[in-house]
Amino acid sequence: MASNRDLMPRESLLWIFAAQFVALLPQLSQLPLWIAFAWAFAVYWRLEVFRGRRDLPGRALKLLVIALTVAGLAQSYQRWFALEPMVALLALSFTLKNLELLSRRDAFVSLLLAYFVAATLFVREQSIPYALYGLISALVITAALAAQLGSFSARPRRALGLSLRLMAQATPLMLLLFVVMPRLGPLWNVPQDTSAGRTGVSDSMAPGDFTRLSKSDKPALRISFDGPIPPPEQRYWRGLVYSEFDGRTWRQGVGVDPRNGGQVYWSSGERALPQIGPRFRYQVIQEASRSPWLFALARPASDSPGVGETVDDRLVKRTPVYSRFAYEVRSWPRDSQTIPLPLNSAERRRNLQLPADGNQRTREWVGRLRRRGLGAEEISSQLLALYNREFTYTLSPPALGSDSVDEFLFDSQKGFCEHFAGSYVFAMRAAGVPARVVAGYQGGEWVNGEKYLLVREYDAHAWAEIWLDGRGWQRVDPTAAVSPERVRDGLETAAGEEFMQDSLLPLHRFDVLVKLRLQWDMINYRWYQTVVSFDSEKQRDTLQRLLGDLSPMRMALFFGSPVAVVLLGIFLWTHLTGRGRKRPVVERLYAVFCKRMARAGITRRPGEAPRDFAGRIAERKPQLAEFARRVTDAFERAAYGGDKEALMELRRLLRWHLRLFLKVPINKSQLAGH
Amino acid sequence: MSSNGFAVQKIVSAIVSDIGSVLLGKERQVKLALACLLSKGHLLIEDLPGMGKTTLAHALAQVFGLSYKRVQFTSDMLPADILGVSIFERESGQFHFHEGPVFSQVLLADEINRTSPKTQSALLEAMEERQVSVDGETRALPQPFFVIATQNPLQQSGTFALPESQLDRFLMRISLGYPTREAERALYLGADPRQQLAKLKPRIDLITLKKMQSLVGHVKASDSLLDYLERLVLHTRQSPDCAVGLSPRGALALLRAAKAWALIHNRGHVLPEDIQAVLPSVAGHRLQSDGGNGDQLVERLMRQVDIIAA
Repeated sequence: MASNRDLMPRESLLWIFAAQFVALLPQLSQLPLWIAFAWAFAVYWRLEVFRGRRDLPGRALKLLVIALTVAGLAQSYQRWFALEPMVALLALSFTLKNLELLSRRDAFVSLLLAYFVAATLFVREQSIPYALYGLISALVITAALAAQLGSFSARPRRALGLSLRLMAQATPLMLLLFVVMPRLGPLWNVPQDTSAGRTGVSDSMAPGDFTRLSKSDKPALRISFDGPIPPPEQRYWRGLVYSEFDGRTWRQGVGVDPRNGGQVYWSSGERALPQIGPRFRYQVIQEASRSPWLFALARPASDSPGVGETVDDRLVKRTPVYSRFAYEVRSWPRDSQTIPLPLNSAERRRNLQLPADGNQRTREWVGRLRRRGLGAEEISSQLLALYNREFTYTLSPPALGSDSVDEFLFDSQKGFCEHFAGSYVFAMRAAGVPARVVAGYQGGEWVNGEKYLLVREYDAHAWAEIWLDGRGWQRVDPTAAVSPERVRDGLETAAGEEFMQDSLLPLHRFDVLVKLRLQWDMINYRWYQTVVSFDSEKQRDTLQRLLGDLSPMRMALFFGSPVAVVLLGIFLWTHLTGRGRKRPVVERLYAVFCKRMARAGITRRPGEAPRDFAGRIAERKPQLAEFARRVTDAFERAAYGGDKEALMELRRLLRWHLRLFLKVPINKSQLAGH
Repeated sequence: MSSNGFAVQKIVSAIVSDIGSVLLGKERQVKLALACLLSKGHLLIEDLPGMGKTTLAHALAQVFGLSYKRVQFTSDMLPADILGVSIFERESGQFHFHEGPVFSQVLLADEINRTSPKTQSALLEAMEERQVSVDGETRALPQPFFVIATQNPLQQSGTFALPESQLDRFLMRISLGYPTREAERALYLGADPRQQLAKLKPRIDLITLKKMQSLVGHVKASDSLLDYLERLVLHTRQSPDCAVGLSPRGALALLRAAKAWALIHNRGHVLPEDIQAVLPSVAGHRLQSDGGNGDQLVERLMRQVDIIAA
């Protein structure tokens, strides 16, 4: 049993609960609901103990609860070594600690766990609101810690005040550590539950997929350029290429995705880069998408670590993008490239693949065009002319049956990018032209005077690429044929009234709000640029900018001097304020005398009065007796009698004595004269 | 201090030698008692019976030429026995107040801890207020009013210990202790102290005494000295040794006693030695410790607190 002294202060219990609540709150959306109930139950039990109505649970009950919760975890997750079950385990152990929260040590354990739980938040989210929330949770947990001191420390103002002071004092250290703390590469990748909701473009395209995206105005990419900026009609951010069609859904197909054997060039230079260019250099900051696809203009190359280039001119990341990810890209647009090599037979076959049957009307229609002897480009322009003539761009197209291409092309004639791209590629393949669907984002909105381009989820787009012998892959955007403004001005203009129709509040209709949102996005962008993406490379750059050359000596100076300055400041501060008044001159002079006597072998004891000391000196060192007597006399008169002349005499005496010390011959009569 | 028209030193040495002739070898205690009288405080003498407590008190009264009364405290004593009582006089048909022994300039309260707390408290109240209230009438005590109380060590049977609040009323508590061998031999050889006591002549008059008492207030205490005093007092309040620190009244008493001590030694300013000289007598009964008595505590206090600022 803990001794009475070690029991935690009763009134600090609520603080501990507050700290737990603050730490758990953001996790609750991710954790199974029953954990929240378990926490509430544990808190309720502990409060009953607090009110003296119940005892803390016994060993048997605790074991039972542990068994139950472990079983519950196993039931909820079915796998152990991933982030979510581990966070859940932490949250649970933290919850169950309430059932034995008794001593001050228990409280400390619980609160340290709370810090840890609060920190796991940043594995998932690093945006400004979460950072602020993290700050608040640190404040509350620290206050709970401060409340453990006892003697009314749990009063809200005292605990929070102390916590605020501690945090304020820790801030300079935090900033210093932020700059200098070595950024270690990931020693171990946190396994994440990949089944959890993905956002953005997916690895297959079925009719209706893009309507979902068009309803979201979440940011997807932020792109800042270094040098020339592509014109709006060229802003096609390629992410995925679909080559396989089963009559309804477009897929990547086998051997493209790196996860099922697709070839990826992980380091630049593995694949020969064009001689001239690149034309565009830019940095993309991609929001978490939980998938490995990155987005870039055609023929990209990237030196960012973990980023590779696929054979179909896309970028992929080695691990899925679980949190905001920034990468540098250089792009060579197709028109700047030299004549490509002819398409090999496997690629040709892949991009001509069609289901064995279905969509007969389309096949016949294209067959008629071919029989008229039209080439690939003529067929393409016929098709685009058809789109332009007959078709309507709408975000709410009618549902399509099993022969979706036929029905779209000849019956409904209403749809948006995915319908146009899908039907176009189908038709081109039927005409014997290698073609593929490309998905990604198109366009973007300038933020803050062309500082960066903000691409949102509703900018998701699908278009087509066809292979022309001698010219290589060419981008064709069938949507542009029916609705040029979609490409030029973005979805909002193209869809008009339909845009974001289903959203609860049509906030995009208010100019001020749109501006505010852009402002907020800019702040977020800055935050990410300066804080979240501060990796080892940026750290080195920053330190180099601050210090010039990164020699160990300079590093030591850089790390050591702030610490030294702070310590010196604290020392001076305590010295000047803590000691109260300055020591009077006469006492300092007497202290000099005492020091000299100590050197001569006689140390004054703290409580020894000057006259007693002089007596002792006379006894032990008779040659100093006269000097000691005179000094003591002068000191007494100066210090206690307020005799100004005695002070001067004391000075004189000590000066002579110094000369005596330095073996300077002195005039005896001079000494006697005073 | 000779500039003040009379030689303090001469008077002091005369008094000390006079009292020294009846109380042999106790010059220090005599000086302390003198300092106590000069700083208008009361004196508590704590010692075994037969050590010369009464002799000291009597001799002091004699040399100062003051009226002197002695009360032997017993357990059945009542406050009226000290303060006085109103008695109805048939001739005048009125109540007439008969002053108790407290109405004197020097009161020797012998064995104060033998009487009941009620009576003790009556005396101690008179000591502090320098006046007595009987039957709703307040009567001032004579000037100067100097109480010398004696008490037996507390371990003796039939004693009522004085509570701390009342001990605090005494400026000093001294104990006489056994005489030295030489002093004791001289005692054996000399005449009867009681006869010698009777022979003592007043050395100063009331006016001189009052003058000397007022001079105590003019003794200079420099900043350095007050710093030392402050450190001492702070140490008693902060040191884990002391259960209770020195009160502001205790600190003032210490300063006043040190001034008187400096005056007795013919100095116009207080030295740290003066404080150290009176410290055991002034602080000994005011300090308490968890273990050991106040005297040991004072001993440690003097060793630990530096005279000059660190």
